[in-house]
Amino acid sequence: MGRRRFRGLTALVLAVVAAVSACGPAQPGTRTLQVIVSVNGSYPTQQKQWFAYIAEKFKQRTGADLAFDTFSSTSDVLTRMQTSVISNQGPDVFEIGTTFTPTAFSTGAFTTLTDQDWAKVGGKQRFRPATLGLSGPAGREIAVPETSLPYVLVYNKELFARAGIDHPADSWDGLLTQAKQLTKGGVYGLDVAYGDTGDTWKLVRNMTLQLGNPLVQGKNVTLDDPRTVAAYRMLYSFRGTGVVDPATVGWNNSQALAAFAAGKAAMMLGTSGLSQNTLDNSAVAGKYAYATMPTIPPGHATLPSGGVPATSILSGNNLVVADYSINQDLAFDYIDLVTSEAEQEHLFDVFGVLPANAAATAKVTAGRADLGPILASGQGSVGTPFNGAWADVQLQLSNVTVQLIPQLARGRVTDAQITDQLQAAQKIAADAVARAR
Amino acid sequence: MTSMERRDRPLWMLIPGAILLAVVILAPLALVSYMSLTDLDQYTLRHWTLAPFIGLGNYVEALLQAPLLSSIWISVSTAALVCVISLPIGVTAALAMQNRFPARGLVRSLFLIPYVLPAFAVGAMWRTILKPDAIVNGVLGQLGLPAPLWLNGPASYWVLVAVEAWSAWPFVYLLTLAALQSITKDVHEAAAIDGALGWAKLTRVILPQIAGSVALSMVISFLHSVNNFSVPYVLFSLPAPASVQVLPLLTYAQSFQSFRFGLSAATAVASLIIVAIPLLVYLRALRLDVGERR
Repeated sequence: MGRRRFRGLTALVLAVVAAVSACGPAQPGTRTLQVIVSVNGSYPTQQKQWFAYIAEKFKQRTGADLAFDTFSSTSDVLTRMQTSVISNQGPDVFEIGTTFTPTAFSTGAFTTLTDQDWAKVGGKQRFRPATLGLSGPAGREIAVPETSLPYVLVYNKELFARAGIDHPADSWDGLLTQAKQLTKGGVYGLDVAYGDTGDTWKLVRNMTLQLGNPLVQGKNVTLDDPRTVAAYRMLYSFRGTGVVDPATVGWNNSQALAAFAAGKAAMMLGTSGLSQNTLDNSAVAGKYAYATMPTIPPGHATLPSGGVPATSILSGNNLVVADYSINQDLAFDYIDLVTSEAEQEHLFDVFGVLPANAAATAKVTAGRADLGPILASGQGSVGTPFNGAWADVQLQLSNVTVQLIPQLARGRVTDAQITDQLQAAQKIAADAVARAR
Repeated sequence: MTSMERRDRPLWMLIPGAILLAVVILAPLALVSYMSLTDLDQYTLRHWTLAPFIGLGNYVEALLQAPLLSSIWISVSTAALVCVISLPIGVTAALAMQNRFPARGLVRSLFLIPYVLPAFAVGAMWRTILKPDAIVNGVLGQLGLPAPLWLNGPASYWVLVAVEAWSAWPFVYLLTLAALQSITKDVHEAAAIDGALGWAKLTRVILPQIAGSVALSMVISFLHSVNNFSVPYVLFSLPAPASVQVLPLLTYAQSFQSFRFGLSAATAVASLIIVAIPLLVYLRALRLDVGERR
């Protein structure tokens, strides 16, 4: 090898090494805070603009840079979290879903919030009490609430008026009756995303709570309880009675929303305030309204003794700080910024998400009667158990519907079939809860 | 080669390759084997090297409680069917492409499309086509035929086989075509002189010549199918219907949905052993592992 060639090769190797080094994690002193957030499929352009906007605000405030990364699913963020936890490097701040917070807590990889930490982000009093429900066990919280996305029902006011119905029923049986009345002329009374594994378990969880079955309480797991069977029976009865489009067995939430937006269904279960953008630009613009989902359980006309009038799971996003982060103060600065009244209002304006900040919530909902049901659903939300095994329990609840889709497609799911699935789910969930620490 | 020549071989030149093998294959294999003997989960992940050692506990659980055996059966049977379907299609396509005809280059390129498409795109495309209210059921409905559920229930297994075969056959075609092109003109001439034409030439001259390449394509297709994660994941998502819960989906769910990393490692190791044993026997029988033909 000639000297010239050798030099060229050496330069190339050094350049590659330098480039690879530059791709590594931020080094101490560079003052760059790395934040990973969920990708916003409903508002992708706005999200990119918001990244630039908040980075600029953060720079003005701290002199430091913000570097955003996104994830598309819980599995995605878990993979990132797993890598970061093991290697002690990665994002400083994670934006995670409320139901995922117990799993994050169970890894022990996130900063436990002290009183001083809470003070840095404006104190607990900054937030609506309902949004603090999945921050962590009292005194050992890890998560600061960022946004609230309670689940609601959306209905077509025009179709309701035509059928002579004022408002969606507050009981599940009543809702089914209304759906039957509304199913005519090629329009279905109801819209349920049976094919969305993230949707069905939330509806079942609402119903079981209303029936007085919390599913998991301490180490006690009651997935195979008859009240859980009743909840699934109700959920599947919509298909059995023909009030939903048969194709819903394969739909995810977006497809169900698209059908409602096209005026093909009079109601849709399990949507959130995020749907406003789609609906305001659809055939039902100006014709739709939100309502809380029924709080009176299947088979009842009033809330039974021991029942909880749950409107939704406690849903939204939390912010957690990785305990390996060398930018702890910057991380809390960032959280303080995005949960401030002004920025929470801005988040609402851009994405339509309900603020976790109490003052911002009061401001954005003042004079907005249309948001009343969303706020009410947020207040009536009940958090999933703060248990490291919840993800497995949730998976089992979703799996029941996945395995029963063929029967659901045929229009009939028997109690025996539901019970079979629930017994299998009970065993796995109970094992997971028994392992929980 | 004499024993003296053997001694003089510069074996030290294999050191870089050995290091690479150790870093890329042996180290991860050792790590996953160790993980499979520990109770590594979300609670112990933070200090994973200190996860409790539980011996063969994960293996016992994987075999007795988790649906490992069912997943192995689904994976192996799916892969075998994919091979069985891909073989005649790939070989026939290669034979058809052997002789010159107008636009042969274009057709050859088109044949490769299913193979070069990313697995994720293949899964997404077929999922879109096979959804309950999508094009396939639309056409069936217009023809007055029943519109079954493709992505769940009994049909889902066959959908997995069909989609994987759809993307696998071009690989068989490619290797077969390469083997066909390596047959020298002399062989064809000798066959002609001996009066071997048509079917006789194909079965007695051509196929024996390409058998090694075809067998190799089968082995690689089988392994690729057993390890295929993207296609079943995108087609069916998770949790998957029980009839299509192949090994990669089971391992992924145990790791990233149940956070049982130790159990998942045991599943991976057990399945590796179960799949590798018959495979090694097969490779040995064909002497593909030593690169020589009998």
